[in-house]
Amino acid sequence: MSVGNNKNAKGWLGSEQRRLLIQEYGIFFAFLILVAVLSVSNEFFLTAGNISNVLLQTSINGVLAIGMTFVILTRGIDLSVGSVVALAGLVSASFVTTSATAGISGAPYPVVVGLGIGLLVGVACGAVSGVIVSRFSVPAFVATLGMLSAARGLTLIYGGGRPVPALTPAFRWIGTGDVLGIPAPVVILAVVFAVSWWILNRTRFGRYIYAVGGNPHAARTSGINITRIQFVVYVVSGGLAGLAGMLLSARTGSALPQAGIAYELDAIAAVVIGGTSLSGGVGRVTGTLIGALIIGVMNNGLDLMGIQSYYQQVLKGALIVGAVMLDQKRNYGA
Amino acid sequence: MKTLMIALASATALLASSAMAQEKIKIGAAPYGLNAEFMQIWAAALQDHPAVKSGEVELTVFDGRYDALVQQDQFKTMATQKYNAIIFAPIDVDAGAAAVQTAADAGIPVVGSNTRVNSDLLASYVGSDDTISGYMEAKTVLDKIGCKGNVVILEGPVGQSAQISRLEGNKKALAECPDVKILEDQTANWSRAEAQTLMENWLTAHPKQINGVIGQNDEMALGAIEAIKAAGLDVKSFSIAGIDGITDALHAVKNGEMTSILQDARAQAQGALDLAIFNAKKGDYKPQSDIWVTYKDMPWKDGKEKIYNVPWTPVTAENVDKLLATRK
Repeated sequence: MSVGNNKNAKGWLGSEQRRLLIQEYGIFFAFLILVAVLSVSNEFFLTAGNISNVLLQTSINGVLAIGMTFVILTRGIDLSVGSVVALAGLVSASFVTTSATAGISGAPYPVVVGLGIGLLVGVACGAVSGVIVSRFSVPAFVATLGMLSAARGLTLIYGGGRPVPALTPAFRWIGTGDVLGIPAPVVILAVVFAVSWWILNRTRFGRYIYAVGGNPHAARTSGINITRIQFVVYVVSGGLAGLAGMLLSARTGSALPQAGIAYELDAIAAVVIGGTSLSGGVGRVTGTLIGALIIGVMNNGLDLMGIQSYYQQVLKGALIVGAVMLDQKRNYGA
Repeated sequence: MKTLMIALASATALLASSAMAQEKIKIGAAPYGLNAEFMQIWAAALQDHPAVKSGEVELTVFDGRYDALVQQDQFKTMATQKYNAIIFAPIDVDAGAAAVQTAADAGIPVVGSNTRVNSDLLASYVGSDDTISGYMEAKTVLDKIGCKGNVVILEGPVGQSAQISRLEGNKKALAECPDVKILEDQTANWSRAEAQTLMENWLTAHPKQINGVIGQNDEMALGAIEAIKAAGLDVKSFSIAGIDGITDALHAVKNGEMTSILQDARAQAQGALDLAIFNAKKGDYKPQSDIWVTYKDMPWKDGKEKIYNVPWTPVTAENVDKLLATRK
């Protein structure tokens, strides 16, 4: 939880910083309360195995939500991530399957090839959205809505609508392996988080992202290349969606064309619950991580208590709206 | 010049083919959606039907995109274009009735396939009784655990006709084993990823207590298997069952990890097409698909039956290789 290091981006506003502090700790306290309640109400919740499960179940949405944070900080949105998950997951899988019928000729290729292809597919989708948003000034909602549809269609065309099973053990490791007992997807999420945190808080590029989202006109006047920043955030989001797609395929052991449907909504929910403003310029990737954890912990906790998934949806809805209400109050009210 | 020639040639070809189409029987197939493997096998089987291959029937497959309204609009299109018969697999049992009415108003016979519709206007229905498969799969699980212990049920989307009927079958088998306790019973929406998460959490909530997993489809059973593997447990110490016989599940059956029951998409599709042609030609037709020979329990009966029940086939170590060979 580093809060004080925010001087560069927001240092000129003392009260803003204080508000951010409340914002960040607010969501953190909400998380702690949730954990405390679940720990008391279910004996298995705080076991090592279950903590590992929750982190594992949060990893894919966490990776997507971090990418989404970059986009939303610039006042954008990326609705395409769920479809990109399916496309990247399926295309990469076709390179690392041992199935004679589902793979491309010459498969299975080494795992690095599969991973590289999956990332490339994600980056390419993000780049297309990025160009459309930044160069052609198409609203992000529309541009990425188009990509949501197109990427899903491409997924079905590429695989003929069929799943790609029988992925190589080396590829499956990223979804099922572990590093010193920590599940590989969790390690990947941690690395993605650390790098993103560093970019957003410690680099000029990160400051520019906040500046572009906070006040595009001022950013342009001060010589920031807005077009480039807007382009790059979609590339980041697309690339991370590609990574998430491969994690999903590796975890389920088979790449499914209908994978990732509505994943964009959980990613946006994590960002919003984490306190990032949809009007751009304000927000923390740490908040996003906690937002994703809150969703993961809530789903897990309610499953452990045997509560129907419909209640999970209602609770998640209440959380999202509640978080935005707080956000509105911070920005315009009180 | 070359372009012009090609344009002329293709225009001639188009004219010729539309002239030929006049002679053909025009049949539209309206499945609820083509994203999943089952419906793809179904649609491919239609194209593979002898009458389509010989050119006697001109077949168009419409993707319902899992939307009742989309399907209804497709029926209107088919009515306008004067199709001779329609094969219908509705997304919803009640919402499909309006579409059937549209066809009836236009005098087009409709044959149901795979999913049911609440309408008396259907000429015939070719499908498999989900209550039976629900009973069969639960029975397999219960037999394997010796009619005692604990099971979990992974359900389809609550309210869908397959979920309702399969659950009814599940419960019927469970009622025969009063000592078996249902530890958990939730929907994973036919999804492998959702089932995997649920099973991971259930294995935590009920350590070493779950003996059997009743998955209402193969996808969810496969998700449970992945969760069991991820937890470092032995899949073969669980009794796991699914329904449908999708390719991944056939492989899992071969590995001895689960059991499955094949829902014969090919028979449902080709049977419905034979009945559609029969109705389009007002009875002047003999069925051409080999499925009527394969399934002795489902006689043709001059195309007059209201319901044709395609039998379920349990996937076993003995027949799995043969089934896998058909999935090329």
